[in-house]
Amino acid sequence: MQPVIRLEHVYKTYGVGDTEVRALNDVSLTVETGEYCAIMGPSGSGKSTAMNVIGCLDRPTSGRYYLDGVDVARLSDSELAHIRNRKIGFVFQQFHLLPQLTALENVMLPMTYAGVPSNERKERAVVALTRVGLANRLHNRPNQLSGGQQQRVAIARAIVNNPVLLLADEPTGALDSHTTHEVLNIFSELNASGITVVVVTHEADVARQTRRIIWFRDGEVLHDHLTPEDLTQMSMVLS
Amino acid sequence: MNIVESVKMAVKTLTANKLRSTLTMLGIIIGNASVITMVGVGQGAQRYASEQFESLGPNVLFIIPGSEEAQNRTLDLPRTLTLEDAKAIASQVPTVNAVAPQLQTQQPITYRNRRSSSLVLGTTPDFLTVRDFAVERGRFFSELDVQRRTQVVALGADVARKFFGESDPIGQQIRIRNLSFQVIGVMESKGAFLGNNQDDAVYIPITTMSSRITGNTSPYGTEVTFISVNARNEASVNAAQFQITNLLRLRHKVTTEDDFTVRTQKDALEIVGNVTNALTLMLAAIAGISLFVGGIGIMNIMLVSVRERTHEIGLRKAIGASQQDILVQFMIEAIILSAIGGVIGTGIGTAGVALVAATTPLKAGVSTTAILVAVGVSGGIGLFFGVFPARQAAKLDPIVALRSA
Ligand SMILES: Nc1ncnc2c1ncn2[C@@H]1O[C@H](COP(=O)(O)OP(=O)(O)O)[C@@H](O)[C@H]1O
Ligand SMILES: [Mg+2]
Repeated sequence: MQPVIRLEHVYKTYGVGDTEVRALNDVSLTVETGEYCAIMGPSGSGKSTAMNVIGCLDRPTSGRYYLDGVDVARLSDSELAHIRNRKIGFVFQQFHLLPQLTALENVMLPMTYAGVPSNERKERAVVALTRVGLANRLHNRPNQLSGGQQQRVAIARAIVNNPVLLLADEPTGALDSHTTHEVLNIFSELNASGITVVVVTHEADVARQTRRIIWFRDGEVLHDHLTPEDLTQMSMVLS
Repeated sequence: MNIVESVKMAVKTLTANKLRSTLTMLGIIIGNASVITMVGVGQGAQRYASEQFESLGPNVLFIIPGSEEAQNRTLDLPRTLTLEDAKAIASQVPTVNAVAPQLQTQQPITYRNRRSSSLVLGTTPDFLTVRDFAVERGRFFSELDVQRRTQVVALGADVARKFFGESDPIGQQIRIRNLSFQVIGVMESKGAFLGNNQDDAVYIPITTMSSRITGNTSPYGTEVTFISVNARNEASVNAAQFQITNLLRLRHKVTTEDDFTVRTQKDALEIVGNVTNALTLMLAAIAGISLFVGGIGIMNIMLVSVRERTHEIGLRKAIGASQQDILVQFMIEAIILSAIGGVIGTGIGTAGVALVAATTPLKAGVSTTAILVAVGVSGGIGLFFGVFPARQAAKLDPIVALRSA
């Protein structure tokens, strides 16, 4: 089986000349189907940039990226949109729900771009919301939901098109420890059901839930396959 | 995403922002309403004026002082037409059936203690034939009255009613500019001609008019304001025009520029058509500008909307909306706004036209072409002014857009 993510010597630079920033500096990384990874590293080390490239929101300046075996660099903008819609689910720190839509409508949104018929759309949205424990909050708008509930709506939206890859950039950054726990449980369940999950996080507790920890620094992969014990040692070194 | 989905989504967005949507539509509504009204009024004026000239019959010709160029140059035309010209035409032009010279001014008229300012029209008995007028009671003045400059008057229907009510005016004396005139007849009601109420007028022999009221002001003879002529039949109108022109050139010893113009009904209709076309065009242009401004309003508010919704656009792109999806979404919003605005504006415009038609003599009406053009144009304006903001939205970088939250 081919890996879900294969980055080969990926560079991403912003700006030119004196102001040039190498957000990604020769990153090579492979993630197999069904893995559950955490990406850690200091702020500004390129974690979000990597997630944007992996999520097809951004293109590498150079290097190759194969998503599910497909060379993404060759794809047009609309093909990338199609991939984001079908193969990838995004979860953001800021939830990014549309305030004028109910939980149900927010979750239905990716399916409208996938051309799913409207009756099926509603069914699947209800299933996804039930899966994240919000079956009783279908018709609430985001401002009527707590932060944890909003993030769970966002997760339901991310998985409703049955993606192969779930990307979460600091998904618990805006949540307290209790709701963080709820969200992590959902991620574990999703991963157990076969979805590949990649989480960017600052929190060692979050990273410990995963089965592989990747450490970024200055746009490079400094360590890969760290164990939770390594993490404890490292944070002792770092602090 | 298919079109039905896009339309549903656009409707949802637009109804979520009712105030903004309404304000955006307002420009288009006003623009459309004014186009429909202005064009309706312009065409109404055109129809009204044409019908007035058509009502004169196809055989009629007008002789007016001054060359065509002079008429365009100045309102103060030379007093070159005379009663003698009219007589010469009647006696020497074979294709002419009747000739009615007219000399007219506004004058104070009194009967006992009642007074009014009405049009006093000096003419000859042929006036009845040429202008298709008839006497309802009593008689019109005769050739003899004209020769003798008698002080007799036929009253227009309104003047008769104003002065005499239900009682019989025949044989009574009225005063025109302090001269006493005997009423010999009352005219049939004729309505207005080009805004002049022909019933609020009195008719006296042209000779009486020039000798006792206006005075003889032309160096060439007894001045007249203009001459109406009736050709024998429709086929002889052009011949009559030619013959009259030649005769008057001889009589006036014209060497370079004519000091008069002979117009047929067709010429008059053409002029009316040109003038009212220009009027309609001008009105439509003014209204068109407001439609254009309405379009700019749409673009303006849509640009604000794109800016406000940057975050939403970024999110939609992140979850799989293509550039085309976003473009279509914004375009549809613009088109819906301008189309609905167009329909409402057309409704208001139609009501406006109906109001004008009901309250003025203008035969204002809404043509289907005007509606189709207005709605089509406003839809097009939605497209045209929607494209730019929609492209801006479609081109947004999702990462940048999401960070703008
Ligand atoms: N759009 C951008 N323009 C310029 N520089 C950027 C942009 N996005 C990120 N960077 C820079 O790239 C580097 C990596 O950023 P990022 O991937 O956001 O780091 P992290 O998510 O690990 O905190 C940082 O130095 C950041 O300033
Ligand atoms: Mg980051």
